Amino acid sequence: MSGESIVRTFYAALGEGKILGTKCGECGSYSFPPKTACTECGSRDIEVVEMSGDGELQFYSSGGLPPLRFADYAPYAYGLVKLKEGPMWLTMIKGVEVVDHDKMEAFFTTLPVAVKAKIAEVAGTNIVTFEV
Amino acid sequence: MSQLRLNRGSSIVGVGCTEFGNMLETPGIKGLCTEELAVKAAFEALDDSGLEPKDIDAFFIGGVQMSTAHMFAHYSRMCDWLGLQRKPGLHFETACSTTNTGAGLAAMAIGSGRWDNILVVGVDSILSHPVDNPPERVPQDAGELWTTTDYGADQEYAVPHGWDIAPGYGAFPTLAYAQRYGLTLAQMDEIMFNMHMTVRRQAVLEPKAFIKQDLPTLAASVGIPDPWEFWNSQYNPYAAWPTRALSCLNPCDGASAYVVTPADKAKQYTDTPIDILGFDWAAYNGLADKDPLNWDVDRLPFEGAYKMAGIAPADIDYLSVHDCMQIYQLVLAEVAGYLEKGQGYKAFLERRTGSDGDKPICTHGGKHGKGHAFGASGGSDIYEAVKQMKGAAGARQIAKQPAISVVHNAGYCMHTAVTVLGRRD
Ligand SMILES: [Zn+2]
Repeated sequence: MSGESIVRTFYAALGEGKILGTKCGECGSYSFPPKTACTECGSRDIEVVEMSGDGELQFYSSGGLPPLRFADYAPYAYGLVKLKEGPMWLTMIKGVEVVDHDKMEAFFTTLPVAVKAKIAEVAGTNIVTFEV
Repeated sequence: MSQLRLNRGSSIVGVGCTEFGNMLETPGIKGLCTEELAVKAAFEALDDSGLEPKDIDAFFIGGVQMSTAHMFAHYSRMCDWLGLQRKPGLHFETACSTTNTGAGLAAMAIGSGRWDNILVVGVDSILSHPVDNPPERVPQDAGELWTTTDYGADQEYAVPHGWDIAPGYGAFPTLAYAQRYGLTLAQMDEIMFNMHMTVRRQAVLEPKAFIKQDLPTLAASVGIPDPWEFWNSQYNPYAAWPTRALSCLNPCDGASAYVVTPADKAKQYTDTPIDILGFDWAAYNGLADKDPLNWDVDRLPFEGAYKMAGIAPADIDYLSVHDCMQIYQLVLAEVAGYLEKGQGYKAFLERRTGSDGDKPICTHGGKHGKGHAFGASGGSDIYEAVKQMKGAAGARQIAKQPAISVVHNAGYCMHTAVTVLGRRD
């Protein structure tokens, strides 16, 4: 590792509209978000790559007791996305119903559906959300 | 490299557990400080084993929530209270699986030949925290408790992205189960209701459980005669749709302990030693794996522990799984091979998972009924398994006294520990 923080690099790149992950030189797997080893095989032979931002929404819900830092955003959708490159990621979901449970159930029966990454500032930080 | 056989086997010869509840109000633990809470469980375990502090060679103490206990260095903070001053001791934690992991740690310490008698203790005091005039404590804010509990989750990425356990560990496996096995969400709700009927009925049969009312009694207390109507009422809102509040853990205060000795000496201390036949662990950073109904972090330790113990799923008489979200009674019973994949829900619908059923699971009421005292919960689960295996579980005794029990705990977020326990003869 160089003295450069991969976390700092990741958040800086979000500010420029880029979503970074890593690709493994040994097993070929993608990891997201970027850390210091491959999340599949543990290899340290990884390179930082730009992710497509494409994915599939597997499931989503809305927490009744959200973390304190997100209280002002409640109710919001929180979902499980399978990225096109393979990794699973939990994050906020835009463009879905969060109050009417009948509508949520009707939509649930259509899952998984394609979603697209949307960088958004939430609680003072740029994060990767996904939009239906 | 790893080996499946230790040089020497080990056995649990004494168990202890406090009442699980709230140190500000629950009889039995009301008014204690955290040290005294731990001591209560530890001395019960010593009494159960017939050993004295002088007989203990080393001690391992688990505790997770330092922010509410106002404690780290549990070995020094508690060694004198326990009568273990100047003995080898350490503080360890694997979050909510801590005192399940402790069984494997003790087995290895004994298996290596270094020490004979090990005391494992777990303690967490999370519903309140100390103030400046000991031993007084004041209630802990629930939101603040979760903020510090989330220090166990990935703070660099996952937490800023909205990390929330109720959807992640409650709603998504519930939705995934419905989707995979063609059940409607109404059917899932019926499964969760019936599971909860069993959970609370079991809790009422365990005097040390946090929950004191079965579901019909709770419903009647607010003037609703039908528990199903109560289940669907304003009294049971969604924690994260379609997961209801009653399907979630009850965080609480509590302590647990057990004494482990070499298997070949265990008969000196008890007529019915409970052998630690196998154990395995796995760590994983995340609240989602590729298959939401079969996480590697659970599957691998089940497989590893069974292999070490030389058992197959069909051998299991009693299963304890980490049901901090109750859907995991179903999901993990299937991962464990205790219930058939895609069919396990029937056992809950038919209420066959109580102590009078043919597939007993978490007979103390689990993390909702008995309650969830983080670092003490694994030891509470082992306490229940040992009591059942010794035929000492009172009103909740399983008719066919278990010979093989499997205890699973998932530490936030995530560490899975699986321990296989066996009764001789
Ligand atoms: Zn790799």
